[in-house]
Amino acid sequence: MSAAPWLPRWPGWSHLPRDSRDVLFLLAVIGWTLAPHFAHLPAWCPVLTIVVIVWRARLAVANAALPRRWPLIGLLVLAMGLTWWSHRTLLGKDAGITMLVVLMVLKTLELRARRDALVVFFLGFFIVLTNFLYSQSLLVAAAMLVSVWGLLTALVLAHMPVGRPPLARAGAVAAKAALLGAPIMLVLFLLFPRMAPLWAVPQEQLAKSGLSGSLRLGGVAELAVDDSIALRVRFEGGQRPPPDALYWRGPVLSRFDGREWHRPEPGALAAVQRSARLDVSGPALGYEMTLEPSRLPMLPLLEATPSREGDAPQPDSNLRPFLRADGQWATERAITERLRFTARAYLAHRRGPFEDDVSLRDYTDLPAGYNPRTLAWAAALQRRPELADATPQRYVQAVLAHIRSGFTYTLTPGVYGDDEGRHAVDEFWLDRREGFCEHFSAAFVVVMRALDVPARIVTGYQGADALPQDGWTIVRNSHAHAWAEVWIAGQGWQRVDPTAAVAPERIRLSQSLRPRPGLVAGTLNAINPALMSELRLAWEGINNRWNQWVLHYSRNEQMDLLQRLGWQAPDWTDLAYLLIALLSSGAVAGAAWAWWDRHHRSPWERLRARVARRLATLGLDVSPHEGPLALAGQVRRRFGEQGEDLAARLERLDAMRYGRGALQRPPRGWWSAFDRAASALGSR
Amino acid sequence: MIAALLGRPRRRLRTWWQARHPRTDTWTLTQRNIYIVPTHAGFVFAAVLMVMLLAAINYQLSLGYVLTFLLAGAGFVSMHLTHNTLRGLTLHLKPPAAGFAGFAGQALALEIVLSSPARLQHGVGLGFDDAPDRDHDVFVDVPAGGQASAHLAFVPPHRGLHGVPTLRAETRYPFGLFRAWTVWRPAAQVLAWPAPEQPVAPLPASPAAAGEAAQRKASDSGEFEGVRAYRRGDALKQVVWKKAARTGELVSRDTSSALQQQLWLDWQLTQLPGTEPRLSRMAAWVLAAEAAGVAHGLRLPGIEIAPGSGPSQQRRSLDALALWS
Repeated sequence: MSAAPWLPRWPGWSHLPRDSRDVLFLLAVIGWTLAPHFAHLPAWCPVLTIVVIVWRARLAVANAALPRRWPLIGLLVLAMGLTWWSHRTLLGKDAGITMLVVLMVLKTLELRARRDALVVFFLGFFIVLTNFLYSQSLLVAAAMLVSVWGLLTALVLAHMPVGRPPLARAGAVAAKAALLGAPIMLVLFLLFPRMAPLWAVPQEQLAKSGLSGSLRLGGVAELAVDDSIALRVRFEGGQRPPPDALYWRGPVLSRFDGREWHRPEPGALAAVQRSARLDVSGPALGYEMTLEPSRLPMLPLLEATPSREGDAPQPDSNLRPFLRADGQWATERAITERLRFTARAYLAHRRGPFEDDVSLRDYTDLPAGYNPRTLAWAAALQRRPELADATPQRYVQAVLAHIRSGFTYTLTPGVYGDDEGRHAVDEFWLDRREGFCEHFSAAFVVVMRALDVPARIVTGYQGADALPQDGWTIVRNSHAHAWAEVWIAGQGWQRVDPTAAVAPERIRLSQSLRPRPGLVAGTLNAINPALMSELRLAWEGINNRWNQWVLHYSRNEQMDLLQRLGWQAPDWTDLAYLLIALLSSGAVAGAAWAWWDRHHRSPWERLRARVARRLATLGLDVSPHEGPLALAGQVRRRFGEQGEDLAARLERLDAMRYGRGALQRPPRGWWSAFDRAASALGSR
Repeated sequence: MIAALLGRPRRRLRTWWQARHPRTDTWTLTQRNIYIVPTHAGFVFAAVLMVMLLAAINYQLSLGYVLTFLLAGAGFVSMHLTHNTLRGLTLHLKPPAAGFAGFAGQALALEIVLSSPARLQHGVGLGFDDAPDRDHDVFVDVPAGGQASAHLAFVPPHRGLHGVPTLRAETRYPFGLFRAWTVWRPAAQVLAWPAPEQPVAPLPASPAAAGEAAQRKASDSGEFEGVRAYRRGDALKQVVWKKAARTGELVSRDTSSALQQQLWLDWQLTQLPGTEPRLSRMAAWVLAAEAAGVAHGLRLPGIEIAPGSGPSQQRRSLDALALWS
């Protein structure tokens, strides 16, 4: 009796017909492969996937007929409509993956011939690849390794037409093929020349993590909960600068529309390109950086990294980084891969222009009609007697003093601004007075501009983890920071960090913005904070090695490898030569083995040749196709009764070779006895 | 002229091909006689790998490279595994108990014994090389150090001696990306007897058809031919009871002359146009006579087989019919 009428009776795994068992196995593998996609597919797609897989599994267990073609086409059209509805397109990455998942799932309803099965396998491998577009973490890699193994196992099962082969045997064959292929994989992975993308990859609409190209009050709060790693740095000679010198410069925001801050127009930058000098002095601080893909077209380099030969970063691929006039290192395209490069920074530096410039007027612009109370507050400040005809430095000190006097640093300041997002600075500066770095820097810049001092917001990262891992200093997305720069005649742009005024430990101790811990982590943290942080460090250490050795392996590492192998100045042609040489020597070894194997005969064949030669000495005419039985017949005809012994031996040999319970190799002693019998016959 | 020019290379190719594949009943598969090419699926797999490599390059996916190269390595290894599936196998055409003989148009089961010296081999398909498709291939798994049998149905198209058609052993195991096969020309020959006529025509009417019997009938003064005095030991049913009732003395049918009352299956009696229908009718007669337990002899132009009965007689007659020309 079944629990529900639509549920077929489960016959037990070992009683399942072979085809049903194979289909269930394949469905499990497909489900496992598709599962990581569920998080970023439109909601209907996982539902459709699960419904179809369960339906197909039910058909398999009930051994029922598959649906006809027309319902399938209907489903496909429906799914395409839903894809269009969700993505407004059928092309592009997300829509493409949705369609791929749908095709894969619907194909399971059509598994008839072997050709259909092959389509599922190829789609499956491709879906495994698409999972890596979203994450290449160790966990995803392990899950996808299981998927590939499962798919290969199913492929082997499809080519075992006889009987009911155990799954374990097919799995072992798949694992064997993959393991034997691993050296090939390793050689190709190490030596296949890495190149830049062949054509432009569609850019993501939103910044995935870390910094973005714009700022709106509240925007950095979302970053604060992102504890993932933004970049890793190793300082030359192990000299790590103090935390308050670790400013990683990201996008500079100078255009304020009243609600949001944006980067300056490229045209405005071009105008100051010449005067925007970067003067550096003092010792150079060399560093090596591993940058996670930020999907932004910029490098967050240590302040200040000049564009001189030897100082400037030179990552491989076609990024072509350049130093913009606002001091930010930009790249030609968004960074979609993990980068590794070296550069040199100078902690002592001055940023131009040093003379007053008409372009600086852009940095005192404030939109009309926004934050009137803050502007009024600034005007009142300006009118104070002690600040009459004050220098910009005096203004800065006065405003910082004001911040110290009554502001609170918090990660959860709540929403600022009215319903339309206006006057957020007013509310922060004059009413609630609590916020974090971006509130302080934005308000500071507004006040400075109101005082007619050119000012801008600089976003980036500040500080780093206190303890290095394997010599690498880690900067997390939770180290994201926003500070300000004001322009002072003769000195150029000067960094002012208003957050340091209110929360000096944020800068001095380089405490990152702590995320709210999850339930398990939170419990563990409460019980044993030391263990928690050790576990975290160990896991990140493993992850770091995974990143360094696998994910980050690129052109630079290939060249390092060649140099270690003895090349003086390797380039990609050397890689290609080495790869070709290795592959062709493998082919030559294979050919040599084949040649050896060709001349290698099985023991049975060798014995057969000896028997034929021996019989030929007795005057028999042995032709190649004659087996022992035929030879026994010949012996009988030729020698009659006298040959009986020899003929019987040959018949026994035939039985041992082809009969029931045949032997793997000729039995010992058979040949010597046969030889004696043949000699006895010959001497007669 | 072109044909003549082409003829020679073709003939040489054919000679070379036949030298490579000598006729033999035991065919051991080695590097030398196994061929391997990628299947359609193999080419599609290569194309999928190329697309995956492009995706890995364009999205700068290290794991994409890993996956692509892992699959490429496994695919390459599968070529060797496919080849290994056949390598070392020995195919042996097992002679049936009754020899390689059967009626034309009827399926004859050829038993092929596959033995694997070392490894368990999966998914070896056997079929005729000239089969239009592979739907009729017979698949077997060969146990390690053991044997497996495959039965192939061979239908001789017409009577006569046929070489066993060229056989093909093939495998796509394990991934179906490559197809390895061998071509085997067995040495054994199949003798095809003429297909027996259906429905069976009545047996030739009377032993009188035989000349000697007719003579004896004439000399025996109208009496029932082949009668002699009863001897002790004669079976009761041999006694001619009618005559005994009439004359009062026991007489028996003469068994020695009964033996001579043979049925001669004569070419002349078939009365059909064409050689093959006549042979078919005679084959049917042989079977019918054997089934009825009547001794039968066979007369073909140039061949005469003395009357007799039993399996060996039937075999002799059918063989003669099969080979007569």
